[in-house]
Amino acid sequence: MTPRLLALIPLAVGINLALGQLAAATALPLFLDTVGTVLVACLTGLVPAVITGAVSQVVMTVVSGNATWLAFLPVQLAIAAYAALAARYGMFGSTTRAALAGLGLGLAAATLSWPISYLAFGGVTAGGVTVVTTVLTGMGVPLKWAVYAASLSNDLLDKTVTFLLVRAVLAGLPRRAAARFPPVERALGRT
Amino acid sequence: MIRFDGVSFTYTGAARPALDSISATFGPGVVHLVTGPLGAGCSTLLLAAAGLAPHITGGRLSGIVSALGNVPSSADGRRALAGRIGLLLPTPWTQLSGMASTVADEVAFGPANHGWPRTRIADAVSRAMDRVGIVHLETRQPETLSGGELQRVILAGVMAMDPEVYLLDEPALELDPAGAEALYRLLPELAREATVVVASTDVDRLLEVTGRVWLLREGRCVAHGSPDAVLGTEDAVAARCSGTTAEIARSAGLPPPFPVTVEAAIGRLRR
Amino acid sequence: MNVGYVAGRGPLHRSHPFTPLTLAATFAILAFVLPAPGGAAALCALALALALFEGVGGVLKSALLTVLPFWIFLFVIHAVIRGSPVTALDVASRITAIVIVFLTVLASVQPARLVDAMVDRGLPFSVAYLFAATLQAVPRLRQRAKDILDAQRCRGLAVRGSPWRRARALVPLAMPLILGALAEVDERSLALEARGAAYVVRRTPLHPPADAGREKMLRWGMLLLAVGSIVVKIAV
Repeated sequence: MTPRLLALIPLAVGINLALGQLAAATALPLFLDTVGTVLVACLTGLVPAVITGAVSQVVMTVVSGNATWLAFLPVQLAIAAYAALAARYGMFGSTTRAALAGLGLGLAAATLSWPISYLAFGGVTAGGVTVVTTVLTGMGVPLKWAVYAASLSNDLLDKTVTFLLVRAVLAGLPRRAAARFPPVERALGRT
Repeated sequence: MIRFDGVSFTYTGAARPALDSISATFGPGVVHLVTGPLGAGCSTLLLAAAGLAPHITGGRLSGIVSALGNVPSSADGRRALAGRIGLLLPTPWTQLSGMASTVADEVAFGPANHGWPRTRIADAVSRAMDRVGIVHLETRQPETLSGGELQRVILAGVMAMDPEVYLLDEPALELDPAGAEALYRLLPELAREATVVVASTDVDRLLEVTGRVWLLREGRCVAHGSPDAVLGTEDAVAARCSGTTAEIARSAGLPPPFPVTVEAAIGRLRR
Repeated sequence: MNVGYVAGRGPLHRSHPFTPLTLAATFAILAFVLPAPGGAAALCALALALALFEGVGGVLKSALLTVLPFWIFLFVIHAVIRGSPVTALDVASRITAIVIVFLTVLASVQPARLVDAMVDRGLPFSVAYLFAATLQAVPRLRQRAKDILDAQRCRGLAVRGSPWRRARALVPLAMPLILGALAEVDERSLALEARGAAYVVRRTPLHPPADAGREKMLRWGMLLLAVGSIVVKIAV
């Protein structure tokens, strides 16, 4: 692996784990724990993004001590792959495109995390999402669908904001910095 | 031995070259000081010598750089030179390996990467820590150190690899005056066997140990030679590239060439 | 909540770092495979005993804080709403067993020792490096996020108000963090390249942990147990 990736990936994972703090300060229901992964997908491409996702999930589990998070590793990997694909097709070229691709990612992420949390953890995940599950189940919605709805309510917003944020970063990248990461032009739809 | 032969280098997206037709030879025996005003290209010169510009920084290089008989701008050249060129950058925080939990392990990062046997690493690490004066920090966590301590730790890490070339960019930026002088006193010792090139604007303190000065301006080498010859000229002093002594001598109305050391100034005034 | 290594002299502390890791993995697998609800409950008791025997009882507090939300929601959803307390008990004890063992292992394995063990066993340098460097990068960036938040608040950034306003406040908070990190990449890669990280053929482990023969056998035994239990579960 090049020293460039050895330098970039730990910083990207750091971004994944630090942004949650800033999101918490705004009291919005956001985790933003994949911004670094999506960013790496745009800056360098598929393989580094997948590695970032894997490292991120492992380190997040270690740092939090919450072992159940490791079970969601496949979701992080899928997010990395989706983001790399979105970058390749220039989905960060405009705010609208980024928002749409973000919504798509939200749908994909929820669809993937739903069976994991339903089968392994009885539909309960750490965090406020489970409140939605509880309320829906209480209203008579079957647990399966309640968990999916809860996942969607969380992921659609989170991933859309994630994509918009990454779009803002890419668009605001100083020219000299952007030139250091050739795939950025493609992610912004300029080539 | 490092040779530049008509070397120019331009960063991606930059309007003018950072290095412009540089030809120079740096060999062991004396400490080389590369200096000049901000943006002169001193740091870039070191990066090009180490083969990191353009390899890591991006940009375009023309002309020929050769180091210890290899071409550092090629992948094969860099492979052949790995571990033989030591580079120290000005900010110590970003140079931490991120992999060490003690200072001793931090110093051992380079040697361990090169796969040296453990006994050889241990010897090299303790010798380097001793020379730089950080033995007392051995078991400390690198992240808890001050900038000055960290800068010496990183230098020890470079020295532990026992390189044949030292490229030091503002090696005392984070050190207090006494610490800086102690560090500079090491340089002539290193230069006895290795090529030592220092890029710095700390001319006053470095004059005592420098044997040869290369004055850069806007990427071009405008003068080179002994410290007196290069830094005593009207040009160098007017551009504020020289030391305090020469500046005082010039403001005091002495005719050029200006004395660059205190002893020389006293000598001139006595005459 | 305090998560991570705690100095100690218990058997897990003294063992090769791969042994506690294998233990945690085996526990996680068994927690899903053993018949409910007795299996997971027994594992829970075992995990509790393990933490106390290792002398890291402090992790039980962190474990409680981690599993309490699970317990509450599992109880409400499964026992109260869906009328299936056995499911609640089963899932709760499964999660609890895994969380306790994981925290016990985290408290017993020094990350630096684990990295040395990885290097010693010939794992690629990049894997060991990324693990170690990321663990050091996370607290640094979290601290920077905190500094940015304080600084922007001092300059009058409002993180209250309508959701739209709060969402907009995210930009001046997140951008400096992200752009600052990206600005570091070049300098860090220069340093890594200069210090030989690009040419690692086989890195020397600085303090390779000792690994006794019976420990290796123990690890194989645990692995066999885990795989065997999966096979039995599928077969039955």
